[in-house]
Amino acid sequence: MCFSDGRTARQQADEEAGNWPKNFKFDILLFCGLLRRGCDLVGERGRAREIGKGVDKEAATLHGGHVLDSPAGHRPDSSFSVECFCTILSLADGESLPMRAEPKKKKKVDPRREQAVRDRLRKRLKKLERVPPELIPIEDFITRTKFLDESRIRDPPKLPVEETERRALLMKKWSRYKQKEHEKEAEMIESMIEAQQQALQELRLESEELYQAAIKRNQGLFPLELQGCRFTPPIANYEAPNGKYRDITKVYTQ
Amino acid sequence: AGNNLASERHYRSMPTHGIGKYKYLLPREVPRKKREKLKMKQLKPGTDTEYGVLNIQLNGYDMTLVEHYIQYIHRLCNQLKIRVEESYAMPTKSTEFSVLQEQGTKMNMEGVIQSHERIVQVSGLSSLLAPIVVEVLQTNQPEGVQLCIKEHTEADFNARFKARPELEGLMAQIN
Repeated sequence: MCFSDGRTARQQADEEAGNWPKNFKFDILLFCGLLRRGCDLVGERGRAREIGKGVDKEAATLHGGHVLDSPAGHRPDSSFSVECFCTILSLADGESLPMRAEPKKKKKVDPRREQAVRDRLRKRLKKLERVPPELIPIEDFITRTKFLDESRIRDPPKLPVEETERRALLMKKWSRYKQKEHEKEAEMIESMIEAQQQALQELRLESEELYQAAIKRNQGLFPLELQGCRFTPPIANYEAPNGKYRDITKVYTQ
Repeated sequence: AGNNLASERHYRSMPTHGIGKYKYLLPREVPRKKREKLKMKQLKPGTDTEYGVLNIQLNGYDMTLVEHYIQYIHRLCNQLKIRVEESYAMPTKSTEFSVLQEQGTKMNMEGVIQSHERIVQVSGLSSLLAPIVVEVLQTNQPEGVQLCIKEHTEADFNARFKARPELEGLMAQIN
């Protein structure tokens, strides 16, 4: 109820402030509005002043610059400011509205507590940093246990003599072929290097500047991506089936 | 008073000094430090290349092809006297792929593919040899193996290590 609220607030103010004219006429609606604003402002102490000042400015613009400073003479269509409210409660200039719920915090313990917390964090960080990071284990190089099963070991098959001979001769042919291939490749590389050197010599004779520019490294070569050739060309008008991929790589954490 | 105890100790002048020692007979074990240090950042001179540290990355689904190719590259670099810093493998990536069923909207789990990655770290590649090497690699590149030559960065180096969420959380808290 509005009236009862007003009375309790008045009684509270009475206790705190002391001097309070008893035969005091209040606009009930106004006071309820004020109370509501006051309750909103209880949570934000420092802003009460700013809000009050803002409200003051509005009131000043609306009613020709007149701000109430005494509670008795109020007009029905004028608004109250929080500063007025504070003067009603006879608060000093720098004080905020007295808060009931929060106890006063001491100023000395706070920075010490924060420092202690920070030191603890730093100690923990140092301990963790001392441990070197571990490499992610590579699944390729770990043989699965199911392959180490003893029951899987078999004896190698017994081959006839011709087969062994055929295999030995095949190995020799293959190694000869690979040797030829390697020699050809080495020759190719050598010829390429020689051709390059010859070209650079000729270029040097032509102009020194171009030669220097040619020797410099190629900046555009760096992020080089090459796709391998494929077995077969892409199929024309191929409709790939609808589906999706999902990455299920195991994430390791230390 | 303490004379009894003193006579039991093997004092330095006595012939029994050091009677229980045996560790000097065992082979010396060097303590192994597993910390790998990067920071081989080479200067980038303009004229003579020496490209700095390059990473040759090979990606593929067939592990045998990838492995053999990386061995081939390593041998080639040895032959051409290109300095190989490291040759390592990156963790395998498993991909689960599912295909939409023809009759309904359900996804049918088809299978799991594993993609393998190997890296050869090479430093001091000269500008004259670089295009030759690239051409040779290209001619010998097997099917299904993707080649990628990049510069080595610290991010690449850190990608090999396990993630440390606690450390990162603490760092975030402090800052």
